[in-house]
Amino acid sequence: MNKLLKKELRLTAAPITYFFLAFALMTLIPGYPILVGGFFITLGIFYTFQMARESNDILYTALLPCKKQDVVRAKYAFCVLIELLGWLLCAVLTAVRLTALREAAVYTQNAMMNANFAYLGWLLILFALFNSVFLGGFFRTAYGLGKPFILYSVAGFAVICLAEALHHFPGMAAMNSQTEGFGMQLIVLAAGVLLFVGMTALSCRKAQKNFEQIDL
Amino acid sequence: MNNTVLQVRGLCKKYPAFTLREVSFSLEAGRIMGFIGRNGAGKTTTLKSILGLVHPDAGEISYFGLPFAQNEQRIKEQIGYAAGDTSYYQRRRVGEIARMTASFYPGWDDAAYRNYLQRFSLDESKCLRELSEGMKVKFLLTLALSHHAKLLLLDEPTSGLDPVSREELLEIFLRLAEEGVAILFSTHITSDLEKCADDITYIQKGEILATGPIGEFQQSYRLLRQQGALTAEQQAAVLGRCREKAGDTLLVRREKAPLFEEWPVEEPTLEEIMVHLEKEGEA
Repeated sequence: MNKLLKKELRLTAAPITYFFLAFALMTLIPGYPILVGGFFITLGIFYTFQMARESNDILYTALLPCKKQDVVRAKYAFCVLIELLGWLLCAVLTAVRLTALREAAVYTQNAMMNANFAYLGWLLILFALFNSVFLGGFFRTAYGLGKPFILYSVAGFAVICLAEALHHFPGMAAMNSQTEGFGMQLIVLAAGVLLFVGMTALSCRKAQKNFEQIDL
Repeated sequence: MNNTVLQVRGLCKKYPAFTLREVSFSLEAGRIMGFIGRNGAGKTTTLKSILGLVHPDAGEISYFGLPFAQNEQRIKEQIGYAAGDTSYYQRRRVGEIARMTASFYPGWDDAAYRNYLQRFSLDESKCLRELSEGMKVKFLLTLALSHHAKLLLLDEPTSGLDPVSREELLEIFLRLAEEGVAILFSTHITSDLEKCADDITYIQKGEILATGPIGEFQQSYRLLRQQGALTAEQQAAVLGRCREKAGDTLLVRREKAPLFEEWPVEEPTLEEIMVHLEKEGEA
């Protein structure tokens, strides 16, 4: 499994996937829907899948001395690793906004979503959707990328819109605070963690079953 | 002692427009088997099913006496696969792919790898997209040969190669077979098989028409040049007919050849057998 993950990182991954981690910096942009940065991180992963398809990567990997199930597990592990790296970068930048920059006017006057615990939770929900809708969809054929990515994009932007709108609803203002209301935000973060772990694990198991039945 | 390296029994796979029916054959250590049949006959589907890339509807596949499904990883360490029409990671360098591949095989032999690189004039620093189709095949073969596979499964490996490289490759196959390696390769270049194959498996429209020693297969047919009208009995014995400038040629079973005693009789080549049988199939 470790060898397969190493192969994903060094042979299969498109360099742009690593460059797109820099979109975590969008966490610092004021007056901007910063969750879109998370979407761009997953777009970077999509490019790896696109390049992998052109490279016959699935066939090459399936022929290596490993179980077919491990081929799927390695792909999921690669995606989770990139997502967690992106999330970690966002978390560090969120910590900067919540401490050193908490009084900065551009953030206190921000009509859009602020970087806080809820933001980190929404990011995990977005990644959970990617793993569930895109990855799960891809492993139905191990070839088709377009439809799963469009479905993920639609679902992902619905989540971004919901997350952006939520703090404008009555009684939900604390959701966007950088100084108070952390309890409500931590609930979103906890939900994000649960959904990320649960949806990824379920999707991976289903993808493994599907992949066993696919003709390459 | 059982020398069977690969055993395929009752392999079936149904597609909307094509069906693989009860494909069965076996391959022993140190033997080279040619897998022939026209385009779309089921060669690649069979090879992919054997490798677990295609999920068969029925059938059993075992390597070295072990069922494939339960011993996938262990078996894959001992087999090598190369396809003439498939290459990987066009933008990666030969060396990068080789190093990554090597890490998966406990039996990887770097000296053998270097030897094949030199033999095939492969440059490790080149990207795959910079190689010609023939050189790509040579690279895949280098990967397959460098981990001392006990069985090589090759899908039209010689189709993109020049005659000298093909000859060189066939010599390598013969040497490997002497060392006990079993080789199953599909090809349309039947003259390659006449040079190196011990056995042949012939597939037609998803069904195995014949499997066994190549000499026996060729000996079981006779080629005749038609000299006059056919009697009803002669007509019934004809398996296939080809039109040529010098006159029609007919393929018959060897035991039926005496029916045509006054006509010139030849031992057919593999290509002649294949062409005549397929032409009959079309009719």
